[in-house]
Amino acid sequence: MTATDWATAVLLPLGALFALTGTIGMVRFPTLLGRMHASTKPDTVALLLILAGAAFRLPDLRTALPLALVAVFQFMTMPVLAQTLGRVSYTRGMVVAEHLVTDELEDALEKRRAESGRTGTGPGERD
Amino acid sequence: MNAVNGAGMRLLGRLPMVLWLTVMWAVLWGDASPGTLIAGFAVGAGCYVAARLPHLPVRLRFRPLWAVRLAVRILWDLLASSVQMAYFTFDRPHRVRGAIVAVPLRTDSDLLMAMVSGGLSLVTGSQTIELDREGGVIYVHGIPIRGEGDVPRLRRDVRRIEELFVRAFGSTADIADFEATEHAMHAARAAGREER
Amino acid sequence: MNALDYSFAATAVMLGASVLLAVYRLVRGPSVLDRVVGLSTVSVLLVSFIALQVAVRGDSSYVGVMVTIALLGFVATLTAARFAERRAHDRD
Repeated sequence: MTATDWATAVLLPLGALFALTGTIGMVRFPTLLGRMHASTKPDTVALLLILAGAAFRLPDLRTALPLALVAVFQFMTMPVLAQTLGRVSYTRGMVVAEHLVTDELEDALEKRRAESGRTGTGPGERD
Repeated sequence: MNAVNGAGMRLLGRLPMVLWLTVMWAVLWGDASPGTLIAGFAVGAGCYVAARLPHLPVRLRFRPLWAVRLAVRILWDLLASSVQMAYFTFDRPHRVRGAIVAVPLRTDSDLLMAMVSGGLSLVTGSQTIELDREGGVIYVHGIPIRGEGDVPRLRRDVRRIEELFVRAFGSTADIADFEATEHAMHAARAAGREER
Repeated sequence: MNALDYSFAATAVMLGASVLLAVYRLVRGPSVLDRVVGLSTVSVLLVSFIALQVAVRGDSSYVGVMVTIALLGFVATLTAARFAERRAHDRD
């Protein structure tokens, strides 16, 4: 076994371990946002590690370059999905208040509702 | 004459996107011969025209040093938050609580705001819930938050990521804007503290 | 079998277990959005599986398949999320 083989032998299972803990987290966390946090980031790390492991098995940079494209793609799509899911989960009322220490979006929405309801008598300025 | 110039400028503005599509095409084909590049350019331009993609007036600069700092920060945070979430996966996940904080942004460039809001879902336990573009306020969900004491840390993380994005990609005007708002906020905070 | 083969086997087993867990979330829900999260995880895991194939075979000609699955997963997840959002608005 060469040094690059050893790199592959370490990177692949490490990546898969991240994927496994991430999905276990997705099953175990009780709230939607917790599940998202638990799965999206470890998944990305897992994919990066496995892609890196695969790249070490390829003969040269030219054949390994397309793998970088997959990584870049993941980095571009993951935030878009996370953001969309975050917004939708809030508008659908999937965010459970008891799992939040503070919710300043709810405060802001309440303030806006109060202001549109009876103009001029909204709550005082913050700070 | 003006119309021709306008069309020319429009094409020029779209060129970077088409070039990027061409590069992806070449990478996917796994070869960079002139034939592949020309075909890629044609397909890219064709798709761009057919899809009528909006033309973004991209006024960005690229500062390699700050971009590297940003990349290191994001990669490190990605790894750290994965390990952290893995820990809580096995240590009573039902007791982990989060928080949604409102952080006023200091940049008013739409593109930079979008980048910050996307980038936040990659860093330690944070994720954008809502972006109020007119008000320049971003609502971020953070996890894990053990109590009120962790809230300022989340706020600081968000502001740090914003600064890195602005300094890595913002135009000179964006940075000047950012610093002016930063000073104003700082002064307001200091004034508030003195009154108390 | 050398260490490399063991690592391939371990990776395949762990990824397989992950897919099963993600499918559990996809099937059980309970909400549409939980299913969407499960779906996006499954698609990332499939891409990882093909990356494992690339490593086993030492052949990068699977990249097209990877990009295709990633793209399909992305579009499917985004569509499902947007659909859920529209239904939320209709309900109001």
